[in-house]
Order: sequence, then structure tokens, then C-alpha cells
Amino acid sequence: MRRSLVLTLLIGAWCPAAWAQTATAPGFIEARGFLFPQDAPNDPTRAVSDWLWRQEGILRPTPSLQLVAGVDLRANTHDQIEDVWRIDWEDRHLRPPRMSVRRLAATVAVGRLTLDVGKQFIRWARADVLNPIDRFAPRDFTNVIDTEFLPVVGARSSLQLGPETVELVFVPRFTPSRMPLLTQRWTIVPPHMASVSILDAGSRFPEKPQFGGRWRHTGSRLEGGLSYFDGYNHLPVLDVRGGQPIFEAREEEVLDLPVPRQPVIIGRTPLVLTRIYPRIRTYGLDFAVPMPWLTVKGEAAYFLSRDDAFPEYGLYVLEIERQMGEWLFTGGYAGEVVTGEDRPLAFDPERSLARSFIARAFYTAGPQRTFTLEAVGRQNGEGFYVMGEYSHGFGEFWRITITQVVLAGDEDDFLGQYRRNSQLSAALRLSF
Amino acid sequence: MSRALRHSVILIGMLTCHVAPAFSQAADDAQRIVDEAERRATTTSERYAGALQSFNADGRTSEKRWMFERVGAHGESKSIIRFTEPPDVNGVALLIVNHPERVSDQWMWTPALQRDRRIAVQDRSTRFFGTDFTFEDLEERVADHSVHTLQGEEPIDGADAWRIQAVAKGSRPSQYSRQILWIRKDNYVIVRIDSYVKDEVVRQLRSSRIRQVQGVWTAHEMVISDLPRGTRTRLTLEKVEYNLPLRESDFTVQALRR
Repeated sequence: MRRSLVLTLLIGAWCPAAWAQTATAPGFIEARGFLFPQDAPNDPTRAVSDWLWRQEGILRPTPSLQLVAGVDLRANTHDQIEDVWRIDWEDRHLRPPRMSVRRLAATVAVGRLTLDVGKQFIRWARADVLNPIDRFAPRDFTNVIDTEFLPVVGARSSLQLGPETVELVFVPRFTPSRMPLLTQRWTIVPPHMASVSILDAGSRFPEKPQFGGRWRHTGSRLEGGLSYFDGYNHLPVLDVRGGQPIFEAREEEVLDLPVPRQPVIIGRTPLVLTRIYPRIRTYGLDFAVPMPWLTVKGEAAYFLSRDDAFPEYGLYVLEIERQMGEWLFTGGYAGEVVTGEDRPLAFDPERSLARSFIARAFYTAGPQRTFTLEAVGRQNGEGFYVMGEYSHGFGEFWRITITQVVLAGDEDDFLGQYRRNSQLSAALRLSF
Repeated sequence: MSRALRHSVILIGMLTCHVAPAFSQAADDAQRIVDEAERRATTTSERYAGALQSFNADGRTSEKRWMFERVGAHGESKSIIRFTEPPDVNGVALLIVNHPERVSDQWMWTPALQRDRRIAVQDRSTRFFGTDFTFEDLEERVADHSVHTLQGEEPIDGADAWRIQAVAKGSRPSQYSRQILWIRKDNYVIVRIDSYVKDEVVRQLRSSRIRQVQGVWTAHEMVISDLPRGTRTRLTLEKVEYNLPLRESDFTVQALRR
């Protein structure tokens, strides 16, 4: 990292004399309130407030060099933020940190080669809602339907040869997706286990580095990419132990009576939960084909693992997109093909959202106003999610965004299990 | 096309010009005028800071600012628009790759999502960011894209001007059935464009504050009006520069995130 920075600074010294360095410091403060109309069995809190101050600094000392640094400062009324004052770098804790480094990276562009080093976002996604090829993009699922991407620490090089781009990624240290908090409404405990206490035994983080590569073709009539990932799934497999029944002591055993009784369960041993991140390889494909009447786009990835606890499967998304005036419509299907052993117990919103129809409509009502409507419905009809959002800017600095989410379905379905978590939220953002 | 016109064409794209086969005197004259305008407009690259004010029907305004850069010319140019203000769109960037024989390709970079996205512009009349500019208006158009006919002479804003009709060729369809251009005789700058859908003027562009920049007559203010909606957008150009040593490698999808 230090060597890379020195290198970038040396390269940056080649700046043309006429170049005027630019520096910007974009940021915002956002206050957001969530209202949940229904209690959750493990979480009676129905109003939550979230505060975020995000501050970034972007410096371009030369045309070839860009330095970016950014920090987040958070607060929350429902114990969803770590109650520790420190600057977090790793994003590995169960709760989002109060203060964290969001980005700290240098980008060097020399001719056809671009090199990004540091804490950064690496996105390969092309589709909406579900992105199976986005293997370097862990997310914060503290609120499962209102997630945020987490940065990773690594190096990315991009070599551009005409319409072809070859990208190589090296991430030496693993960043996991953040699971919902066990004691809050986004962790659903089956009714028969409701009285069982859950002991969090933590996470087994892998220590080996991760690699990835992607070839991308950017053509007028076809845009596509092939990708390879060798690393760890940022979504955990859950190793759950315990939960065995505790029986009432039998009188016959105590008194040595001749007639036995049915055993009575008076409790269960605590569940001990450990998060494990299996090593995986994925082969990915993505494409977009713009046509006169619509655009067809999609992405797919096949997941392989040497870990017996992890099945082999493929995820894919196929969508069509159509612009009509100020409306942008997208619709499609997210599917799954399981070729190996079926799933272990895991927190895996990617797989759990597969086998669903997805639809999205976006309307630009003016320079300051937008509407979004998004829906996901399981093909078996057992769960669905509908989100409507209205965003309105006021003047140069203020924006209010109101979001209504409705979740419904069966308790056995990934979306349906959250049916008591429909929510209304309002966010007021001051950008500067 | 004059250089100022070139400027307008790249930026606003409404300036469809064409050198038609000289089957008539009117077409021949129109061709010569448009040719000359294009010759005067030719620059290898361009950069300016733009201030974009949108006025809705109630007169309320919103303002955005961007940096515009272009490399190349004659329908084979590449342009990048990077928003700088207001803060909540700061960093949003649009890459436009123009092609001489067909409609442009466009990609949008959204910093909040950290991803680029191909703009699916099946409907090129879609308004750009809710302004009165459509995605088609942002494309560069060159002479070959339209057939031109001289309709006469008509003073405009106190200056003598030619009035020329432009009709898009079938190979490059347009949302507009025709456009009427007013080209000033003294500097070959297009100072007004009325764009029609069927027989109705739906959009009107007026250019003003015309000054020379590096020998190029350049309109520093353009007001585009969406007449059916009663809205308008004013684009003011600042710090205009031509023929800069810009790098082709900075006009790619990969470069959008920089």
C-alpha cells in the first residue's frame, strides 16, 4: 500500500504545467426515520431513527492521479450502531461502526492502464435487484431491504484496449456482508424456537486473499463481460449448534415407578451460532443488448466450492428495459439452478431472492423530483415485496425522500418471513 | 456550420444540418451555408463549465452546473458531462459516444451506486435529468444527418439571417419531423432553432451572447423552451476553451469513475 502510494505520487509528478489541480469535498448529513406498523416477536420497537454524516475529499493533483478519502459518522436510536468511539477500517463487526473509513484510495491512470489501490468499491453488476457477479461487493443487511454496499480493501487494475477492458482485482483481506442483528426484527426466529436463547459465537473470517478478473466488451450493439472470482462468499453459512430439548425429570426415574410417562420438554439448550464464509469460485457472465424497442440485459454466475458445506449452484437474472418518455421500465426474472447438494443453513439474500419476478419503474417528474416503484414476487406466490419511493429536492442543498415498503407472504419464504416488517421511512438530506 | 454552431451542435444537438444533393437552387444554397458554418465550427476538442437553470411552468427554478469536455468532431466525437452542482448530483457523469452513421451510445456513472449504466434510450425524446434537453439534443449531429432547404432570409434579433429547414434522414431517425434554423449572415452562428413534431413547434432554442473564443464565434447563452409544457432551460457557458490537448483515454466507460 505504501509502495503503491509512493508510485502514484511519482507518476503524479509528471503533471502538465497547465493542469490546475482540483479538490472537492462532497458530503451530506442525513436524518432518517423508520416506522414499522407491526411489532416483531423479538423486537417491539416500531420507530427507529438513523443519522449519517458522510464526508469525502477528492483531490486530483494531476490529470493522472486521483486521491479519495471518505468517512462516515453514524448514530441510531435502536442500538444498531456500535457504541464505541473509534475509527473502523475493517467493517467486520456485527453492528455498523459509529465512525468508519468509507474510502481511502488512490487512482492512477497512465495511458490505457488504470490502477486503484486502497479502500474502495468494486462493482461489476449490470442487472437490478440481484447481482450474482458482484463478488467484491459485500453489503450491510442490518435492514434487509434497505441495504448499503461496503467497501473492500484491495487493488484493481484495468487495461483498456479499444472496446475491450481487462480488469484484475486483488483483495488481501476479506470483508463480509453484515448480517441482521440477532435481537432485532430482521432476524426471524421460528416460533418453536422463540424461547431459545441464541449465543453468538462470532465469525470465522478467512485469512487468505481473494482474486478476480473480468473481461468486458463495450460495443455499440453488444456489451458483455466474462468474469472469474476465487475467494470467499461474503454471505455466511451458519453453523448452529445446541437447541436440544431439555426434559422434565421423570417421576418414575426418581421414584422408580412401574408406569412410564411421555417426556415433557421444559426448555432447550441455547443455540450457538457461528458464521462461516466458504471459499468459492464463480464464473460469471453479463451482457446488455440495446435494441430499437428495448434493451435486453442480464447476468449469471456459477458458484463452485470445495467446501462440503457449500452447494454448487447457478444464479441468473434476465431483464428487459424500455425507456418511454420520462419513464424507465425494467422487468425480468431471477433464477437459480442447483446442481450439487442443496443449501445448508445460511444467510443468503442472493439465493433467497432467486426464483422471483422483478419489476421496476422509474419516473423523472422534473429536475428535482423522481418516483420509483420496485417489486419482487416469488414465482410460487409465497412472498413479495413492493417499494414505492418519492424523492424531492428543494433548492440546492435539501432533499426529502419518502419510501413505503410492503412485505407479505408465508413464514417459510425469505420475503414472507418479514411480513411484519413493512415500513414507512422518510429521509431528509442536507448535501454540501 | 460555424464553430459556434459546432459548439451548439455538440452540446445541444438540435442543430441538424445536412449537405443535400444539389437538385435545387435552394438546396444548393442551404448546402453551401451549412458547409461554411460547419467549416467555421470545426475544432478538435472543447471544454467549458456550464450552468443549467430549469424554469418550470410556475417560474420556479432549479440550477445545476456541469463540466463539459469533448474530443473529436464531425460525428465521431466523444463527450463527457460531469455534474459539479448541486451537491446531491456532484460526480454524476454522462459519456456520449457519437457515431456518424447512427445514434449515439450513452453511459451514466452514478457515484452513489459506484457503477456505470448504459442508458437505454429507446425513446430519444426523454428529457435529460428532467431538464428541457432531451437525450437526442445531447448528441452531436453533423451535416449528413439531415436534408436542408433554404427557405429565405429573415432578420432575427436585429441581424440578417438565413432561414433553413432541416429534415432528418431516414438512416438517423429523429423525434422531430423537421427543424427550422436561423443562421446569422455575419458570423454563421445558428441563433434560433424551432423543432417541430408534425406541424407543431414543440421545442425552441435561442442562442445569444455570441463572442469569439480563440477565433470561434461562440454562443455563451442558450435557452431551450419546451412549448407544450411551458418550461424552459437556460444553459450558460463559462470558461470556454477549444483545441485542448485532451486524451482519448479519458473518454471511456472506465474513465467515467475517475
